[in-house]
Amino acid sequence: MEFDVAYIEGQWPALMRGLWMTVQVSALSIVLSIVLGLLGAAARVLQIPVLGKLVAGYVEFIRNTPLLAQLFFIFYGLPGLGLRLSLFWSGVLCLTIWAGAYQIENIRGGLETVGKGLREAAFSLGLSPWRFFRLVAAPMAIRVGLPSMLNTSISLLKNSSYLQAIGLAELTYVAIDRISMDFRTIEMFAAICVIYLALVLVLSFLASRLEYRLNAPFRH
Amino acid sequence: MELLVRNLPFIMQGLAMTLGLALATLFFATIISFVLGTLATLRFDWLRVAVKVYVELFRDIPLVVNIFFVFFVAPLFGLELSPFAAVTVGLSLWGSANGVEIVRGGFNAVPRHQWQSAAALGLKTWEVYVFITGPQALRAILPPFVGLLTLLVQATSLGALVGVNEFFKVGQIIVERTTMMEGWNPAFIVYAAVLLTYFVICSALTWFGRWLEKRLKRDHRQPAPGAAPAPEPAPQLP
Repeated sequence: MEFDVAYIEGQWPALMRGLWMTVQVSALSIVLSIVLGLLGAAARVLQIPVLGKLVAGYVEFIRNTPLLAQLFFIFYGLPGLGLRLSLFWSGVLCLTIWAGAYQIENIRGGLETVGKGLREAAFSLGLSPWRFFRLVAAPMAIRVGLPSMLNTSISLLKNSSYLQAIGLAELTYVAIDRISMDFRTIEMFAAICVIYLALVLVLSFLASRLEYRLNAPFRH
Repeated sequence: MELLVRNLPFIMQGLAMTLGLALATLFFATIISFVLGTLATLRFDWLRVAVKVYVELFRDIPLVVNIFFVFFVAPLFGLELSPFAAVTVGLSLWGSANGVEIVRGGFNAVPRHQWQSAAALGLKTWEVYVFITGPQALRAILPPFVGLLTLLVQATSLGALVGVNEFFKVGQIIVERTTMMEGWNPAFIVYAAVLLTYFVICSALTWFGRWLEKRLKRDHRQPAPGAAPAPEPAPQLP
């Protein structure tokens, strides 16, 4: 049993197809989950009567149930209600619902740091609510909430590997599939571990650069 | 409903297996976390870097890949792990990578002068850890550790991927069996029930973590106005 680099090179196209699927699913879900997070956080912060409570319940439910069970409920359970989605869209829906719960909390945390006094000060200076939101609240909320939002996004990327359980041909699925055919276990795991590590490290690096840029006004 | 009642013993077995997995994992993760987390607070740079690499490695690789890795790679080195053992190892590595950071953070939350005054009194390093900083760090460590336990309970569902008959897998088997033998698909109701059960268990744990956090904070609180005066502090050296 020796490490066969040529084998990995031979499988590279298949791995890249898996990677492309992983990236597609993750990118789409990250964007959608942030949209969901913004809407949910707005419902919570504005304390909309019924909706606010519903959103709070949704967040608790998602955070206290396993992602794998959520995935199976969506992919195998929902057709029982007549809602049949493709593999890809089941995956996107599941990851969006999962990450959305975390993004709501991240964004809410950011928005709540903007104090009442600040709002009153802005209004007494004659800022319109929209300008207050755009010039004061949003920049502060983003600066506070962004690190955890990026963390959740990175977790989502890693958790896209759960989708191999329903058979979506993303990176992990490709690797396990190859292993069951060629038994090149070490090579395949080394390859996907390096790819995942590279993805996560690059994203973390970009995230820390972004945080650094956004904190510029506060540095001495 | 009748379906759940009929399968009750099977479901209970699954729950027991989930509980066993969670406890076994918690046991190993706690030991590794405390050993590595404490080592990382010592003043050896290379040790800190080594722990950091361990933490980053197991946190950055997806948990699914991690479990498959242990399951598929261990046999190549002559280690015939049962699925249960493989999942326990995989989850322990992941859980401890998260636990190390909690422990390290807990020790960092203890004010430095506690360390310095203990050392100035002539306590040995291990004595400082066991009697001075350890108990104080524990206050910061316990609540997030309960949170970690919640995550571990959820993560045991990944055992289903390598064939451990834990709670989630039992649900899967019931769905398949009923579909094949009785010709109707109970996926919706079964997976809804599975989700609800996890929700009840994990919410209880989350709630306990929050309660613990409040409780531990309360002991540290200033006395309320009107309460009995705090005992006179012991005389201090200038």
